[in-house]
Amino acid sequence: MANTSRLYFTCIRNTLEAAMCLQNFPCQEVERHNKPEVELKTSPEVLLNPVLICRNEAEKCLIETSINSLRISLKVKQADELENILTKKFLRFLSMRAEAFQVLRRKPVQGYDISFLITNYHCEDMQKHKLIDFIVQFMEDIDKEISELKLSVNTRGRLVATEFLKQFI
Amino acid sequence: MACFERASPALKEILLKLYRTEKPMEIDHHLYEFGSVEYHVQSSASDPHDTYLSIATPLLSQGVLPSHGLSHYTIEMIKGICSDVLEIVEPAREGYQLTLRLDLAKIPQGKDGAKVIAQISSVQAVILSSQLKEMLQNVNSQDTSQGMYKPIKLVYHPREPFFVIRQPQKITAVFPMRFRENSDVIIATAFFQELMDVGSSEAWAKAPPCTWSPIPPPELRGELFEDLSTNGGFVSFDIFSHHVEGKQLDKTVWSLLNFYAYVKYHVKCTRGFIQRRMKNRLESLVEVLQNASMEEEEHIQKVEGCRCVRKLVSLSRSKVLNRRCHFTKKIRSPIKIHGFSRFRQQWLTMPKFSLIKYTKLD
Repeated sequence: MANTSRLYFTCIRNTLEAAMCLQNFPCQEVERHNKPEVELKTSPEVLLNPVLICRNEAEKCLIETSINSLRISLKVKQADELENILTKKFLRFLSMRAEAFQVLRRKPVQGYDISFLITNYHCEDMQKHKLIDFIVQFMEDIDKEISELKLSVNTRGRLVATEFLKQFI
Repeated sequence: MACFERASPALKEILLKLYRTEKPMEIDHHLYEFGSVEYHVQSSASDPHDTYLSIATPLLSQGVLPSHGLSHYTIEMIKGICSDVLEIVEPAREGYQLTLRLDLAKIPQGKDGAKVIAQISSVQAVILSSQLKEMLQNVNSQDTSQGMYKPIKLVYHPREPFFVIRQPQKITAVFPMRFRENSDVIIATAFFQELMDVGSSEAWAKAPPCTWSPIPPPELRGELFEDLSTNGGFVSFDIFSHHVEGKQLDKTVWSLLNFYAYVKYHVKCTRGFIQRRMKNRLESLVEVLQNASMEEEEHIQKVEGCRCVRKLVSLSRSKVLNRRCHFTKKIRSPIKIHGFSRFRQQWLTMPKFSLIKYTKLD
């Protein structure tokens, strides 16, 4: 982890540890329904205050908590156009395969690039600290992958340009 | 239409078939390539010596060349392919620009024969490149006729025209770049910037100077608006006399004709590369999440292992369920009893006795 982003990720980790105390809670509006309250937002008494952790304008994390569910929305930094399309492509690719992740939301919350929805059932199936590790590692990996992809695309471009110019000599 | 391979693969296959056959064959094939190039291959059993090959191809530029067909230079280039095997039929068949009479019996046997066939199959590339060669050969000509600096629009694909501008001591080739998707534009732009960087380095001083600009270069002032509206900018190559000397001419012409195809191929490959990288990363990310649940399962198994005799092996949940189902299948009851499944799982599963040693009770 880079020193510059360590504080950001530590802050997210600590917030998630505090927020991830979920319990089973049936819907108060509809009988025999059990829905993530953070999504429905029908009962304000079961919702907690959302926490917004910002590293800068382009990089932020919104953690919305309720009694039985937790929603984490991420905005990934996009320094230039290439990073922008790479981020979009990658996050769209992951969102389309959301079933593989269980906790990934198919559609991100408006204003963010990717969202996770963790319910009390996920916390029962998986270890809480491992789930937090996954979220933080996911964020680190996304940043790393985008940087690596950008570097690779530029390197490929340079090699291809060299090969093209070789034809003239 | 330019492509990386000069010889047309389909035409080559047909000609090789004709060349290798022992019995005379009746062939009448119409081939279409890239939607605008048409070949007609005709061979009759009654006249086994002569095979007719007709070609219709869009000409690069209608303005500078005779409108009725091919220029004298192009015809000379075609004759130079293999003069004893092919003969140009005058006039060409209706609907085609060129008709060739091929005497396949004169082609030598073995590897040389295949080479000759490949050369004949690349006749369309010869037509295409000879037109540009003709223009580039006049780099140093002191022709000061009117319209010397007027750009010549070359169209080898309706959506991909490019311009050749004759200037004193050099010829500039300008490629307006258009892409369908925004992501392609960005990948291509990154490539053009790398091309400019590499081209401007000292190691590549011999290569034609390359420039990329998002706005049309001043040389194209006065051209049609539709030709100048692009989303990928304009790439220009300055061709000097040393780029068109001797064998260099052929290389330069082919590289310029293939530039569009080259860029598009790079964009396509880069997209594939990104997709592969994403797929690999997906697997590693999913693995992290799976570890979260698998280790928990292992932990549960260890706890259960203390309660009853079980093998302390790490099994996935699906495997455990499969094993249970396999065992319980045999005693499945047709009547559904509430809570029976739990009872069956707890009491009717067969414990493994292989590790347990029994001692006889006294």
